[in-house]
Amino acid sequence: MKKVERAYASLRERIRTEWVLYLLAFVFILIADSIGQIKIPVWKGTFIIFPIFYALFLGILTGPNVLKILDDKKVKAASGLVGVAILPFVAKLGINAGANISIVISAGPALLLQEFGNLCTIFLAMPLALMLGLKREAIGATHSINRETNLALMQDMFGADSPEAQGSLSVYIVGGMVGTIYFGFMASMAAATGLFHPYALGMASGVGAGILMSSAVAALSEVMPAYADQIAAMASASETISGIDGIYMAIFIGVPLCNVLYRKLEPTLGRLTKTGRELAGKN
Amino acid sequence: MTIKDWIFVLAISGLGMMTANFIGFDVAFTESLPGVLVLLLIALCAAGLAHVIPLKLPTVAYCSILGLLCACPLSPVSQFVIESAGKINFTAPLTMVGAFAGMSISNQLKMFFKQGWKLIIITILVMTGTFFGSLVVAQVVLGLTHAI
Repeated sequence: MKKVERAYASLRERIRTEWVLYLLAFVFILIADSIGQIKIPVWKGTFIIFPIFYALFLGILTGPNVLKILDDKKVKAASGLVGVAILPFVAKLGINAGANISIVISAGPALLLQEFGNLCTIFLAMPLALMLGLKREAIGATHSINRETNLALMQDMFGADSPEAQGSLSVYIVGGMVGTIYFGFMASMAAATGLFHPYALGMASGVGAGILMSSAVAALSEVMPAYADQIAAMASASETISGIDGIYMAIFIGVPLCNVLYRKLEPTLGRLTKTGRELAGKN
Repeated sequence: MTIKDWIFVLAISGLGMMTANFIGFDVAFTESLPGVLVLLLIALCAAGLAHVIPLKLPTVAYCSILGLLCACPLSPVSQFVIESAGKINFTAPLTMVGAFAGMSISNQLKMFFKQGWKLIIITILVMTGTFFGSLVVAQVVLGLTHAI
């Protein structure tokens, strides 16, 4: 992406602002990786807590709402650092895909078609959102997994203070808080059912959100160690494709589909609850 | 970001990776170093490509594709790339990502609690639907194309 923005006038200025972030990150690595993984057996699967979760949790505590070590400027700087720090991991996944290139190619059709599967969430989440009384917010909230690009897209399409963008922002925030831990857990549960091939599980992990994918791949490699390399290869391929097509899927299929469903379902599902009826009266 | 910025921040993340690899998995810094350098170099080239190529593709897409090309059988250095990157444990690069990600959402904690249970349910459902939607399609198509 071509962004000609310069947050800092010089590298020296960057370091002056961000050194606290680096220092905290290293302290969190020391703590998190000393604790290591914790595995809790749940049903036939395993609930695995990785160092990344402790680090995430510790990071959340540093902010303006709790420990107040970081102010809003530093919080913003941290979000820029996420995008850089994840690149080596993405490169590692790419290497995995390259090393297993023949199985990635043989899975080509599945890799391309499963992208459309990401849209299935609309059929599941939209009706429920309407039943719970959401109105136009439901479109932003359920049109996609709502990571950074989708959030920007909703603000662009509907306006930053539109209900659609608000819905998207809500799922973005809640997803940031609970997504990393839930996504990995869900993936290991899906593996535990025994219904799905590791290749399919790997592909499903690549949803266009780096941190969610990493959580799912880490959990899957732990419960299916024999397939760890192939899972990472498939996830990487699928994540790359999602990164490229995700925004177009949302523009050309996701949002129009949400609009159609909204028109069809809102008059019935949207009036089931009292809040739903009241809000409908207002609009 | 200038190239100096990129090199600096990537070097920080490389140090973070080596630290995590040492503390979590007992891999010495010297043993991690070649793999870390390979990953950082790929990341740096990806950032350069994203800057130079006038397509609106995310840097991660270039990064993943470059990684793939370096390790595929056509690459003259594939052996070295695969072996050295293999020394870096899978979750080692992630701890630092988690730390920064946590910090980057730390000002939303109040907002999170304000969202209420409805949005938590919807978010969980959105994630579940996205994952299982593509999982089922992938499983069916893999079966139909005899890839598994």
